[in-house]
Amino acid sequence: MTDAPAPATASASAMQRRVRQEEQVAELCAGVVRAFSGERDLHFRGRRLHRGRVALPWFAPHLHPSPETDDFASFRGVADGLALRLTVSDAALHESLRPEDPVERMLFEMLEQFRAEAMAPDVMAGMRRNLRHRHEQWSLAFHHSGLTDTARGLLLYAVAQICRARVSGQQVVEETEDMLEATRFHLAPLIGHALAGLRRDRADQAAYAVHALAIARTVATMLHEAGEDSSDAHDPHVDDKRSVFMLVADMDREIVERFTTAESGRSAVLDDAGGAYRVFSDAYDREHDAATLARKEVLAGHREKLDRRIAVQGVNIARLARELRALLADPTRDGWDGGQEEGLIDGRRLAQLVASPTERRLFRTEHLEPVADCIVTLLIDCSGSMKEHAESVAMMADVFARALEQAGAASEVLGFTTGAWNGGRAQREWVRAGKPPQPGRLNERCHIVFKAAATPWRRARPAMAALLKADLFREGIDGEAVDWACARLRQRPEARKLLLVISDGSPMDSATHLANDAHYLDHHLRDVVARQEQRRDIEIAGIGVGLDLSPYYSRSHVLDLAASTGNTIFREVIDLMAGRHRR
Amino acid sequence: MTDIADLRPDRMLSVREVFGIDTELQVPAFSERDDHVPEVDAVYRFNPDVTLAILAGFMRDRRVMVQGLHGTGKSTHIEQVAARLNWPCVRLNLDGHISRLDLVGKDAVVLREGQQVTEFQEGIVPWSLQRPVALVFDEYDAGRPDVMFVIQRILEQGGKFTLMDQNRVLRPHPFFRLFATANTVGLGNLNGLYHGAQRLNHAQIDRWNIVASLNYLPAGEEIAIVQARVPSLADEAGRQLVASMVAVADLTRKGFAAGDLSTLMSPRTVITWAENVEIFKNPALAFRLSFVNKCDDAERPLVAEYFQRCFDQELKESHQLSSGSHE
Repeated sequence: MTDAPAPATASASAMQRRVRQEEQVAELCAGVVRAFSGERDLHFRGRRLHRGRVALPWFAPHLHPSPETDDFASFRGVADGLALRLTVSDAALHESLRPEDPVERMLFEMLEQFRAEAMAPDVMAGMRRNLRHRHEQWSLAFHHSGLTDTARGLLLYAVAQICRARVSGQQVVEETEDMLEATRFHLAPLIGHALAGLRRDRADQAAYAVHALAIARTVATMLHEAGEDSSDAHDPHVDDKRSVFMLVADMDREIVERFTTAESGRSAVLDDAGGAYRVFSDAYDREHDAATLARKEVLAGHREKLDRRIAVQGVNIARLARELRALLADPTRDGWDGGQEEGLIDGRRLAQLVASPTERRLFRTEHLEPVADCIVTLLIDCSGSMKEHAESVAMMADVFARALEQAGAASEVLGFTTGAWNGGRAQREWVRAGKPPQPGRLNERCHIVFKAAATPWRRARPAMAALLKADLFREGIDGEAVDWACARLRQRPEARKLLLVISDGSPMDSATHLANDAHYLDHHLRDVVARQEQRRDIEIAGIGVGLDLSPYYSRSHVLDLAASTGNTIFREVIDLMAGRHRR
Repeated sequence: MTDIADLRPDRMLSVREVFGIDTELQVPAFSERDDHVPEVDAVYRFNPDVTLAILAGFMRDRRVMVQGLHGTGKSTHIEQVAARLNWPCVRLNLDGHISRLDLVGKDAVVLREGQQVTEFQEGIVPWSLQRPVALVFDEYDAGRPDVMFVIQRILEQGGKFTLMDQNRVLRPHPFFRLFATANTVGLGNLNGLYHGAQRLNHAQIDRWNIVASLNYLPAGEEIAIVQARVPSLADEAGRQLVASMVAVADLTRKGFAAGDLSTLMSPRTVITWAENVEIFKNPALAFRLSFVNKCDDAERPLVAEYFQRCFDQELKESHQLSSGSHE
């Protein structure tokens, strides 16, 4: 569409850039946490640190930077704080000591984090600086947001400053030093004894906890008192800001989903059914060969357009094929190299030795050839919103199919959409049946084979062009499509199987959403991916078109189709296949 | 000059005195230094466990294999033990080009009294076998399978070695010793780091009496080694610098274990880096030239992060610099 409003595209691509920036930062931070702690399966998922599939606790309030307001150094500080926390603090011990009262618990948590940060090794000057930087950033943000204007805020702030200064042996943040005086004076007789113990016992978690608990209890009491006789607790403006810093007890495990980037949630309907996904009617489900979806002439026109686009991109397919081969192929013994000067004697050459005794090339060696015993499936989301990316995605799929073929690996290009909008015949049938509650998936599922594994790229060329057919793009039921693609992969003889799902959003089918609940399909998608990932015979990765798919796929990457030129896109996908992006 | 074959260990050395290990053990040694005895490296630091394993090899004729990641000084370790015992030592790199004939010997045409005659020339194995020599097979896991079976025969203690085309049976010299070093424990190239490493026949591995593992040293030891190698860093300021360097190396090793990096810094790289710091007077530049440029492009920003943590400096590859000032 040439008349699309330019600003919208520009802002969309700016958004995509930002998401990618964020992803890079998270990747680097996670890398440092892994290297420092020596734990290999730590990663960020939806901005929260996970160990494998399990989300780690929220930890202290200052460990939650926001990409909008905080700089990279701040993220580094957070990563270092997390790394130290995982290394020097015993989580089980911490859990067992944790007080019940939410405010006390928050304070105790914060003090334990300060202790962990005070244990940064001396040789790591950069780490100490990052931690300090993060502390200052957080403190100033807290201060400038007006939270220190309230009695509770100021008290909390002062406690954080004083305790951290004490346990780390560093100065309090200079800008707010004067402001603390009164509170410090007031606090000194109450927590002075415990404060003195903080630094002394910082190497001993249990001993330190005694002091930390005493401080937490005293301060929590003071906070409760301050909260009851001040009116600011009911000021909605302050409440709003307070939630930003998560002052109180919302550090528990349940509030994960709020921060995920792709929209997802739990479905009550699916939960009630024990996770059993239902399909109301599969009578209208279809699987199409893409070549049959449009007339030959139309496909030829689309193909021409696609070829022009590929030519403009200037993709170096031979190089791509080489990289893919390096990634996917294993050396395999394949016959012999004769006529060598050393190796094993080649019996057939002995006659030659008799005829010309100076001839030395009598040996043969084993010949090793890289063979890619591998199949890669690209599963393309053909829901309505993908229409604007259709050309880029088609280009990518086409180039990949060709490069994979050159690299000796098989490839499949599959797509999924629905046969109708708003449920189509399945929905009408449901209405006729008297709208039974919770019918499950309610649409005409449509699976499309653009290129089957057995079809060579050259023969699949016209069918691939069907990706440009705009009326194909309707709604998307991702979970079933992933199952379908995996089932197809399992029928293939290749040893290594990869599935790349290209999508720009959460599963979308309005009829199903209306008849069940809002998260029915994306909950199912997460279940499906988790189940398929667990079987470990197929490597699954999500390629988000301008959207972070990490809530669904444990390996995912955000692709900026608008801004990147051809070669970078492929580079990134190859990195993803190589497992270098591991969110 | 006496033939090396006539030599015998003629004195006992105290392990405590020579290697600084707290034990009563005495180890046989030679008083005469043959040409085959390696040079003593005065600043070499022995790892106590591995040293004991190697000494067991010398004392009790055990077959000792030292296994560990590259750059940990496996071969040097054996050599330095031999050097201190004055024990002749021959190192043989078992790369893919060593053939059976190289090891066993072959008929060669030689001139004798102006006449061309074919004469059997002993390979390295029969030669060593008849002498008080410590034979070290380096890169043991890179050897070709057909070669390994030659070795298998002498792996048995007192195993006789038959030269088939000579119709001779060789008895090993009582002070012949056999060692090997390898990056893997014969399981092949599992982590993608050691291309060319073969999967070894288990019967082979089974015949090694002692497998010592030489992994990266504790940071303190490694710092001391680097300081010993690069004397200009031997002062207190140097110690600080080297400690940070070793901390970076440690992060790369753990990053490698986590699958984030495909290269890691061996102690040898750290020493190289320290030497390059001497040349360039700039740790960051020296780091880039000695390690970062060996890394995959995609992994360099992470290496830059490691570097920032330990040195509080940005490398050119850092995300901080590449993403513009606002981030």
